[in-house]
Parts: sequence; C-alpha cells; structure tokens
Amino acid sequence: MTRGVLLFAQNNQEVDYVAIANLAATKVKQYLRVPVSVVTNDPVADHYVFDQVIPVHDNTLSAKYFYDGTESKKLHWKNSSRVQCFNLSPYDETLVIDVDYILNSKTLSYCWNQPRDFLIYQKSFDLAPWRDAAEFNHVSDFSIPFYWATVFFFRKTVVTESFFTIVDNIKSNWTYYKALYQIHSTTFRNDLAFSIALHMMNGMAADSFAGHMPGKMFYTMGQDLLLDMNSDKMKFLVQRKDNLSSYIPLVTTGIDVHVMNKMSLMRCINV
Amino acid sequence: MSKGHVFLAQNSSVDYVRQACALALTIKKYNKHNATCLITNDPVPPLYRHAFDYINPIPWGDSASDSTWKIENRWKIIHVSPFKENIVYDTDMLLLNTNDHWWQYFEGKDLAFTSAVTDYRKNIITSDHYRKAFTANSLPNLYIGCFYFRKTARAFEFFKWLDVITNNWQDFYKKYLPQRSQKFCSLDVNSALAVKFMGLAEESVIPGATCPSFTHMKPAIQGWKTVPPKWTDVLSSYYTKDGHLKVGNVLQQGLFHYVEDEFLTDTMLAYLMKDSK
Repeated sequence: MTRGVLLFAQNNQEVDYVAIANLAATKVKQYLRVPVSVVTNDPVADHYVFDQVIPVHDNTLSAKYFYDGTESKKLHWKNSSRVQCFNLSPYDETLVIDVDYILNSKTLSYCWNQPRDFLIYQKSFDLAPWRDAAEFNHVSDFSIPFYWATVFFFRKTVVTESFFTIVDNIKSNWTYYKALYQIHSTTFRNDLAFSIALHMMNGMAADSFAGHMPGKMFYTMGQDLLLDMNSDKMKFLVQRKDNLSSYIPLVTTGIDVHVMNKMSLMRCINV
Repeated sequence: MSKGHVFLAQNSSVDYVRQACALALTIKKYNKHNATCLITNDPVPPLYRHAFDYINPIPWGDSASDSTWKIENRWKIIHVSPFKENIVYDTDMLLLNTNDHWWQYFEGKDLAFTSAVTDYRKNIITSDHYRKAFTANSLPNLYIGCFYFRKTARAFEFFKWLDVITNNWQDFYKKYLPQRSQKFCSLDVNSALAVKFMGLAEESVIPGATCPSFTHMKPAIQGWKTVPPKWTDVLSSYYTKDGHLKVGNVLQQGLFHYVEDEFLTDTMLAYLMKDSK
C-alpha cells in the first residue's frame, strides 16, 4: 500500500504556487515523512523535493480577488484539476493539501492509520475568531453544511472513486448545482463542489460517508498578514475585532495554519 | 393494552381536519401500531374518514370558541381518547418513517416530552428565540407538539393542571412567569408549568431524547442569519410519490412539523390518499 501527499500548483500572474508548493513539500517531509508529488503545468525548478511532478492540462481560467491585507487584486485562478485527484494521484492512500496550508506539526500523520477511506474538515477555526464565519458553516445561509477541500485524505476504493466522479459531474454542471443549492458565488469552488458531493454521498441526509480529519483546521483570511515563519512558529497580524482595517499581532507555535494571503506567504519565503 | 395516535383539530381559517388526515395517512403508511383518533367538532369529509379509526367529539362545549389558536380544549384529550397509551400530535405534522419503536421507549412512563427538537438540517435547536419565558423563568424546556401519555392517575392530574392553567393563564403567567412573561396563551408554557408544579420534569422531560422528537420548522430557529417570515419563502421542498420529503435538498426523516399550512399541497395529499387505497 503506497502513501503520499499530493499538491496542486498552478501559477497565475503574481502568485508563484510552485514556489509555495516547494515550501509545502519541505514541511511535509519534515513532519509527515512521506513522498510528495505536485500536479502542475508550470516549470518546477527544485525537482529533488518532489517524488513526482505530474503534468496536467488545465485550460480553465477563472478569476477571483486575492487579498493582501487591505489591498486586493483580481487575478487568474486555476483550481479545477483537483477534481481529478483520484486519477492523478500515484498513491493508494493520498493526503491532498493546499500549498498554502502550512504544516507545523505531525497531526496529519494520524490519517494513515485509521479505518475511514475518506477524511475531510468540516469545522474550522479563524485565528481572528470574532469575524463572522458563517460562509464556512454552510454553503449558503439556507443550504447544506460546508466542508473544506483544503486538506483531505482518501484511499483508492470504488466508493471514493464514486465521490470524485460526482464532484466532476458537479463541476461540469456547475450552473445547475449552484442554483439548486442557493450558492451565490459565480466562480466554481472546490469547497462547494465537495460539500455538495458529500451531501449526495450521505444520501442527502446526515453525515456518515466522510470521517473527520485529525486535529483542528485553523486559518487566516487574505485580509490578515503573515509576517514571518521560523521553525514551527508563525507570526501574523490579524484584523481587529472593532476595526477591520487595523491589526493585532498573533504568534502560533506548532499548529498547522491555512494562510489565505498568498502574497504575504510569498514574501515570507522570499519569492 | 391499546395504543394509538391522537390529534385534536378545530378548523379556523386553517383546515386542521385536512392536516390531521394527512398526518394520519402517514402514520398508517409506516406503522404497525397505527390506530388513529381524531377529536373534532368539525365535519369530517367522507374522503378523509378512512384515515381515522375513531372520530370523537370534543366534550363539554367548545372552550375555544373565541380563540384563534384553539388550544383551550387540549386538556380534554385524555377524557376522549379511546386508547390507554397515546401519542398526541399537533396536526401540522407528517410522519416520514416508522415511529413504532417509540412505544418501547415509553414503557413504564406516565408522560413523556421531548426537549430536543431539530431544525431541517438535523441540528438540535438550542435557540430560545420563541422561548424567552422558558429561559427567564427556568421552566422545563419541553415541546408539546408531540408527546406521550398513558392513562394513569398522574397523567389525569397533568391534564387537570393543563385545564386550570389554560383557563386562567393570565393569573398563572403573572404569578409564575415574573420574567419575560408572554402576552398570549401558550400550550408549551402551560404544559411546562404543569410539569413543574407536579415535579415531573426529571422523569418525563428527557434531555436529548429522540422520542418523541420532531423537526421544527419555525423560521427563527433554523440557524439562519437572515430570518424570513416563513420557511417556505426560502426553501423549496419536494414530496415524492414514495413518501420521501426533501427540504432545501436535505432528506427529512422522522416526524416533520411543517408549521406553514401552505406546505401541505393538494398534490401531496393526493399522493397520500392514493397510497392508502
């Protein structure tokens, strides 16, 4: 039974996802000690850190706002190849991690030795907990529970293959599913497609198909700033409760954090 | 020992007899123990009669003749029901799976209430939006939309209290609900007071109990940021010929308390009627 981590990296005009993937792969090797492969159609300079570089043809081109503190830019965003991860992964047991999910612990290694064939995070914790996180509780106010496609684990089985087939079908018919589940975002998002597919796998009812990923999923928003990373410590400026354009400092030690501000992440790794 | 499902219906601007018929048909569809009794003084159309094993009149006059919600006769249920053991329902409910197993859970109890109802996404409701008087006055957090009683001395005592409180609700609320008292008569509050007076809360209101729980569709307790006047304004629902109900694309199970009378369409009732033939 082979196991490994799969990363996706599709550069746009300003964000060097491959460079961020390089950092993510280094962290995986440090904390999880398993092979790491990257799916990309961009040049990869440091091949040595990756087990495999898996080419993918992704001609979809959507756009979204990338925040860097109080500023934002609308940039290209290629995120649709993730729905193919069942076929793209070279491993029997795969942990898919967003490159901006920065590991500082061994927590995710608990995925390997547990019986569930699919694990994903539903609950998450904003490092600025006073912010309204309703968009991460349900796919929309009146709709189904939200799951994060940021980090998930799967074994290759007939059942998990069905799940990814459904995700692919949702992607192909996004306009229909978006309306059906009262989703306001015009852009296709893996989180939302995964949430719908999980709901369908659960027979449109209570949770049973997916298990919970180990530990807790912490995140910072694009409006927050990552200042520094050193060993397992991360220093942030996060939005204040009473004034969202001012900040308070925050340090984390030994916890994995989803850093949505890619610009500040790139600054920290000197890209 | 006889067991049965009981509903009291008094039509107003809403046809509660029609609702009771739909509920009774779903009970008959899924349950082995499926005897039903409708308590009403309204005419029951011949089309609906086969849904009920008993149609009994409300005795001793209509205590709710001047009322909109028609709750003033509820205390009479124990005197009219033909069954020894009873599950009592609000009429605006549909059963979506069997609840035969509830009887086993109720064994040995005189009365059983739920304090754990869920929203349509199956989250246990913790909001006290409609229950400020419960929180402020430390009342047992029971829901009377569906409950169980066995005809015992204690159950008769409970219904006697319900009679006295319902018919003197202003006095009782003034004395026993000093905080956030309501300006209208509530059967939930009256029942909670009766349970409190009798010291029954610990044995009859089981925290987290799934029997006799239900999905409660009042809009302000659905966990929404934006609360519409009616849930039917924001959620589509599908009731299939084989009795599967999806609300907002979430499959509903158990007992569904739909609250809005417009939910029960003629098409749904026609499916249920066809099933029952």
